Amino acid sequence: MPMQRIRRTFRAMAAEHTVELAAVDPAQVHAAAQAAIDDVLRIEAKFSRYRDDSVVTAINRAAGATAVAIDAETAALLRYADQCHALSGGAFDITSGVLRRAWDFRRTPASLPDPATLAAAVALVGWDEVEWSERAIRLPRAGMEIDFGGIGKEYAADRMATICLDRGLRHGLVNLGGDVRALGPQPDGSPWRVGIRHPRVPGAAIGGFDLAEGALATSGDYERFIEVDGKRYCHILDPRTGMPVAHWQSVSVAAPLCVAAGSCATMAMLLGPDAAPFLAAQGVRWLGVSADGAIQGT
Amino acid sequence: MAAIERGDRQRRDDAAAAGSLLAAALALPGVLPATAHAQAAPDKGIFELQYLSYRDWQPGRDRMKVDAPAFYALVPLSDTWVVEGGMVYDAMSGASPLYFNVLSGASVGDYRTAGDIKVTKYFGDYAVSVGAFVSSEQDFLSRGASVNVQLYSEDRNRTWTLGMAGTNDRINAINGVAPNSSRNSLEFLVGVTQALSPNDIVQSNLTYYTGHGYYSDPYKPLDTRPTTRETWAWLTRYNHYFEDADATLRLGYRLLFDSFGSDMNTFEVAWVQALPWGLTVTPGLRFSTQTAADFWKNPPFPRGYREGQDYTADTRLASWGAITAGVIVGKTLWDGWNLSLRADYYRQDPDWQIFGTGSPGIQTFSARWLQVNVTKDF
Repeated sequence: MPMQRIRRTFRAMAAEHTVELAAVDPAQVHAAAQAAIDDVLRIEAKFSRYRDDSVVTAINRAAGATAVAIDAETAALLRYADQCHALSGGAFDITSGVLRRAWDFRRTPASLPDPATLAAAVALVGWDEVEWSERAIRLPRAGMEIDFGGIGKEYAADRMATICLDRGLRHGLVNLGGDVRALGPQPDGSPWRVGIRHPRVPGAAIGGFDLAEGALATSGDYERFIEVDGKRYCHILDPRTGMPVAHWQSVSVAAPLCVAAGSCATMAMLLGPDAAPFLAAQGVRWLGVSADGAIQGT
Repeated sequence: MAAIERGDRQRRDDAAAAGSLLAAALALPGVLPATAHAQAAPDKGIFELQYLSYRDWQPGRDRMKVDAPAFYALVPLSDTWVVEGGMVYDAMSGASPLYFNVLSGASVGDYRTAGDIKVTKYFGDYAVSVGAFVSSEQDFLSRGASVNVQLYSEDRNRTWTLGMAGTNDRINAINGVAPNSSRNSLEFLVGVTQALSPNDIVQSNLTYYTGHGYYSDPYKPLDTRPTTRETWAWLTRYNHYFEDADATLRLGYRLLFDSFGSDMNTFEVAWVQALPWGLTVTPGLRFSTQTAADFWKNPPFPRGYREGQDYTADTRLASWGAITAGVIVGKTLWDGWNLSLRADYYRQDPDWQIFGTGSPGIQTFSARWLQVNVTKDF
């Protein structure tokens, strides 16, 4: 019997996503796709910093005041973020979102933040100072914020794959805004061919990975940036200086889980020249494009 | 439980220290299918030797002594089959249980030998156990069989237990009272154990017992009890592990309704404190309080006795409260050897009945247990 193959596109987390699934029973495929998409929407509603009623908004609103009770899922994400912070020597910090107050990537003409504004924002960064446990979290100073950028979307991709696998599907590919997780090969048994976007030439690829299972995630300087005096300033900001990273144009990482691939890629961008030994220690395959356009990786 | 959780946390810490982001990511909920992990059968065997010494007394009078060596072993036969069994040998001496100030008919000088065996098969999401047991004394023979099913949730945070056991007892008192008597009983159990967080676990069991046959004590003059008995027992336990103190608080409550009319409430608290050098100290306190059976008659014996009606003067069916205080000291030795020492002191007093009035005129009753256990994991 031929496999029923579907491709669904949906919007969540301010981006376009697709899920491709295949199985013999069409009802099973559609039900799995819907359950997986519903879970992405659930995660967005729960953890988006743009939603008024999200857990993250509640935590940020109580900054400098009270502790906010959290559930086991939130605690697990915080624990993971804490481990990313420790492993990157503080370069990966979920309280660094406040730096966006100093950097405006939409304003024209583009300009750099003034030093006093930037210093004030940097002073509000500090995962080390956050008081948290498995049950509650308190941001110690008013104005502090957390967000799950670099973790949340990738976590959602892994959960989509799990939901489909739990429903008996063995062939499929989840693509959440360029972060990809395969739950099994294509129906004919061949791997999915996942291209890596050229950081400077829209629509072009600089390489690709074959993915039968596992994940591929990319972090790049091209998603949001400004140019001032011919120099590019991207949205990936070093929490210690408040300044954009400049060593890599993009780093792509392949790992068994999308959340591991995504946070590795972000950390590599932040670690700059130290990224190669870090990625080697993580045992992941990767491909990076440095500022001069040279390609490195394994 | 707490030891296992500490182990998990330690492994996570080790993984993080070694730089594995993937290991950290695997701790996130739902990133991999849980069905990949089947409930594993124990992969280690246990061998245990125990020696128990029991003494009880009433004011001015030493009564029963029991010395009981016991043996238990658990042996995994394969990845999914486990067999376990034990033997106990009791040597009892002293007076048979006393009621008020009158010595009962026969003095006890008896031996008991008991053994049980259980075989468990693990099937991924559930496990099935079948067991048999026998206990033999000069005047008493008990035999039974049991079936248990355990169901594990996908995330292994919840376990359901369904159980059933049947028992046949034969009573042949040496004083010739009630020759060739017997009783049969069935017991049903449904229980759930839920991990609420890595540090909290709650368990709740409901047990129903129904039996018919000879329930009287042949060594107590005039003792006549109903020939049917039903009980409902509800047991709830809660454990919380305190990370800072490296200690576990155990709380328990048991409510028992007995068709004899003797209902019991039991409250338990224990603190399991881990110490350096592989030592664990567990002080514990238990309080029980029960109402008297409908056919219990207050002293003096045999007031209230009517020919043809149920009657007992056995203080175990009177109204009283009782406190057990004890401590267990455990020590991990080398190579999977463990040693534990346990001491408990029990005192029963009619003035300690808190849900009513204690039976007037009965004496206090005291007992103590000393126990030594040596176990070896292999």
